[in-house]
Amino acid sequence: MSMDKLKNRFLFLNEFKILFLIIALIFTISILGQLSAFNGVFSELVQRHLLRIVAGILVMGLVYFYDFKIWNNFAYVFYAFTFISLIIVELLGVVRLGAQRWIDLYFFTFQPSELMKLSLILALSRYYSILPLYEVRLVKNHLLPLMLTLLPTILVLKQPDLGTAGVLFFVGCSIIFLSGFPLKIFLLSVMTGLLLCPFGWYFLHDYQKNRILTFIDPDRDPLGTGYHVLQSKIAIGSGHMLGKGFLQGSQSKLNFLPEKNTDFIFTTLAEEFGFLGATIIILLFLGLILYFLWCGSVTKTPFAKFLCYGLGLLLFSHVFINIAMVMGMLPVVGIPLPMLSYGGSSMITFMISCGLIMSALANRKI
Amino acid sequence: MLHNDDTKKEIQLRIKIVLSMVLLMMGLLVYYLYFLQVDCHHKYAMLSEKNRIRLSPLLPKRGRIFTADGKVIASNKYKYTLTLESCAENVFLENVNLLETCIPIEEDEKKEILNTRKKVPRYTPIVVKDGLSWDEYAKLSLIFYKLNHVSIDYIYVREYAMPLEFSHVIGYATKSDNGLQILMGKTGIELSKNEELIGEIGNIKTEINAAGRKMRVLNEVAPVNGNDVVLTLNADLQKYAYDLISQEKAGACVVLDISNGGVIALVSAPGFDTNLIASKINQDQWNSMLSDPLLPLMNRAVVGTYPPGSIFKIVVAFAALCEGVITPRDVVYCSGEIAQDNGVFHCWNRHGHGRVNVCDALCMSCDCFFFETSKKLGIDKIVEYAEKFGFGKKTGLELSNESMGLLPSKKWKLLRYGSSWKPYETLITSIGQGALLATLLQTATMLGKLYAGDYNFAPTLIKSKDESAIKERNPINAKHATTIKDALYQVCNAWNGTAVGSCKTNYGISGKTGSSQVRKIKTGEAGIGQKKFPWHLRDHAFFAGVAPHGNPRYVVAVFIEHGGGGASVAAPIARKIFDKLMEIDQKSLEIVPK
Repeated sequence: MSMDKLKNRFLFLNEFKILFLIIALIFTISILGQLSAFNGVFSELVQRHLLRIVAGILVMGLVYFYDFKIWNNFAYVFYAFTFISLIIVELLGVVRLGAQRWIDLYFFTFQPSELMKLSLILALSRYYSILPLYEVRLVKNHLLPLMLTLLPTILVLKQPDLGTAGVLFFVGCSIIFLSGFPLKIFLLSVMTGLLLCPFGWYFLHDYQKNRILTFIDPDRDPLGTGYHVLQSKIAIGSGHMLGKGFLQGSQSKLNFLPEKNTDFIFTTLAEEFGFLGATIIILLFLGLILYFLWCGSVTKTPFAKFLCYGLGLLLFSHVFINIAMVMGMLPVVGIPLPMLSYGGSSMITFMISCGLIMSALANRKI
Repeated sequence: MLHNDDTKKEIQLRIKIVLSMVLLMMGLLVYYLYFLQVDCHHKYAMLSEKNRIRLSPLLPKRGRIFTADGKVIASNKYKYTLTLESCAENVFLENVNLLETCIPIEEDEKKEILNTRKKVPRYTPIVVKDGLSWDEYAKLSLIFYKLNHVSIDYIYVREYAMPLEFSHVIGYATKSDNGLQILMGKTGIELSKNEELIGEIGNIKTEINAAGRKMRVLNEVAPVNGNDVVLTLNADLQKYAYDLISQEKAGACVVLDISNGGVIALVSAPGFDTNLIASKINQDQWNSMLSDPLLPLMNRAVVGTYPPGSIFKIVVAFAALCEGVITPRDVVYCSGEIAQDNGVFHCWNRHGHGRVNVCDALCMSCDCFFFETSKKLGIDKIVEYAEKFGFGKKTGLELSNESMGLLPSKKWKLLRYGSSWKPYETLITSIGQGALLATLLQTATMLGKLYAGDYNFAPTLIKSKDESAIKERNPINAKHATTIKDALYQVCNAWNGTAVGSCKTNYGISGKTGSSQVRKIKTGEAGIGQKKFPWHLRDHAFFAGVAPHGNPRYVVAVFIEHGGGGASVAAPIARKIFDKLMEIDQKSLEIVPK
């Protein structure tokens, strides 16, 4: 990249005031949440979280300053690489918490399923950016994207990771829907899918069945499976309008709340900052999602458009599933809240997303 | 290209659909958040407090029970209990397994503990082992750091000195049935004085974390210990009397202080082990107590009712004198039998007593004299005086289950059987037989009233703090009482008295023997020794007496169930108790002047 271009990119950073503001606010809340989860102690884990934020910002910059064309050109390569990783995980992945999600790269462990979310969006965007508009009415032109979506979904489902599989499936289908897939067949498939759902029951693991049964009837086993959700609802519900105050949440401080710094970070914050604070968090995420979708509408190339919509829906699915699950609206499926939950893979995924959005916006005139 | 424009438009529409779906679902999140945090806040706030705050009871010490001579009869001791709180199943199981390495837990117990976990709310303590031994306590202390949700608490249990001797009068207190570990009196003084003994439960409010560990104390209300109760009983005498009565199969004894109505001894034998019930009794042991043919759980002095036999003649004689039906000099000829209502009623002495006045009649316990006298007196008067002497109603002793006995009257007969009173029934009532039933305490109280000269005399077990409290007197006719008292002295001291063989002493006992039949005597059986009958068909043996002569202070009433004769069985035991009483009296006299 020439020096001129680099200079332009720097100047263009001015355009991202709103994005930076939202990200900065989310990170502030993120640090507050992690601090609260560790009883206000600036512990090693909080430091590590801070380090991840810094790393995330660096990754975002790197993606932004990199040539946007590379994502289009290497989309299938990324996809193939990630897909092979997924298969490797299936064969010799490290078993953690009963699920094969991580791959050990000696210097750090990472989740191919996390990377798959981005690779899938890139591959689908690439595919539909090439597909002529008049071809989208033909179902046969959508067979490859369907395969691209379903194969990793099934692999992830086998790990077993119900949440990520659901996200992959949702994002893939959304992009296919936005590409102009015939409506009648789309609706028909959705209906058939819903009808086939009960048969899927036999493929679920016992703990997944338990989670779903508990979701339907939370009082089934209040000390076992239902405990997490019940405690989470108690914590959120006892927060009231303004919350119990920073570091004053008894549910999280006295360890009644499980996973209080990862999947249930929203609960920790909602208990201490109340309805007002929790609504601000939801609105910040909504702002970020709308920013992504807005980018989709202002960029000119089909690839950038699909990329932006895909990333926006990816962010949306994470935010919605996580918050709905900690409030007991959905079964607990282990989806982290982007940028707030403790954990590296998710952080990197969403910082790459932000970088891609910025890059797409900077290259919109091309 | 028109085709392309259509597609473009549709894609634009689809983007809008997706956008509105995003907005709608995010709105749904905010709505549900509002529902949880604002609408349902109260419910969840309460649940949150319930999670965090543990209210544990602080148990009071139950009041002790003392005898008049200062011995502690009921006190408290610690008992260590191992409890495990209900929590997530895997944690719970892990802890149970750890505990198993230190203390033996049987497979059945383990199953029950695991079942209880499922039923009770989170963090409810479940008793794993009641009554830890020191060995187990020490072993547990070593691994205590590994355990979660486990605590060793102590509770109080009752400890009784002389449990058998005092079993009926003191009773027992055990853990209350309402789930709290406070001790509640179940029988005897423990029950009737429960309000005083129990004290008040305190509580401690602590903040706990999810592992059940106590984080800090929020509030504490100290328990109020129960008050001690001092009884009028004398422990030495109680034990002495119990040992004597126990030598027979079953029986009872009541010793009263005439000066204040205090019960000095209240014995029922056989007794039962109250310590066993207070600490830990299993179902088999309890069943064997219930099914014992000698009924150890029944208080024979206060609850069991029996025909009082000849002792009741005192009431009839006194009534006849007061009503002017007879004078002390009037005589009746006893031929050994009397005809009434187409039947023949025998005196206990088949040969007859010859010419007897009231004094002789009591002295020799002549039945014919009382048959004749009661005919003149009539049942109504007998009932009137018997009621004055406390028959047919509770004496008001501080034991909740006291029996009333049964005083048959015309009205009672009509209500009970729907038939009129027969004249012969007056005859058998006059010698304390027939339908008449009384407790031993009623019999003793009757003598107490006579010698105190006060119908209002009543027994009590509680040592009154205010001795000077003046009770209203209801005096009895002193002149006629003296006549009766003289006769009762003769019973134990004249050559022809029924109890002279065992009760002639230097301090002078006055009293009356009684043998009450439990079966109808068949012709030809008269004069056959009681020992030849099976136990349950033998007569009940009674003796009720007063001593010392001249300044009567103590009433002793002895009852031996199916003992045979009052003179031969009950009187010698009463004599020994009187001897012991005099000995104790002497000692207390020696102490008092200092």
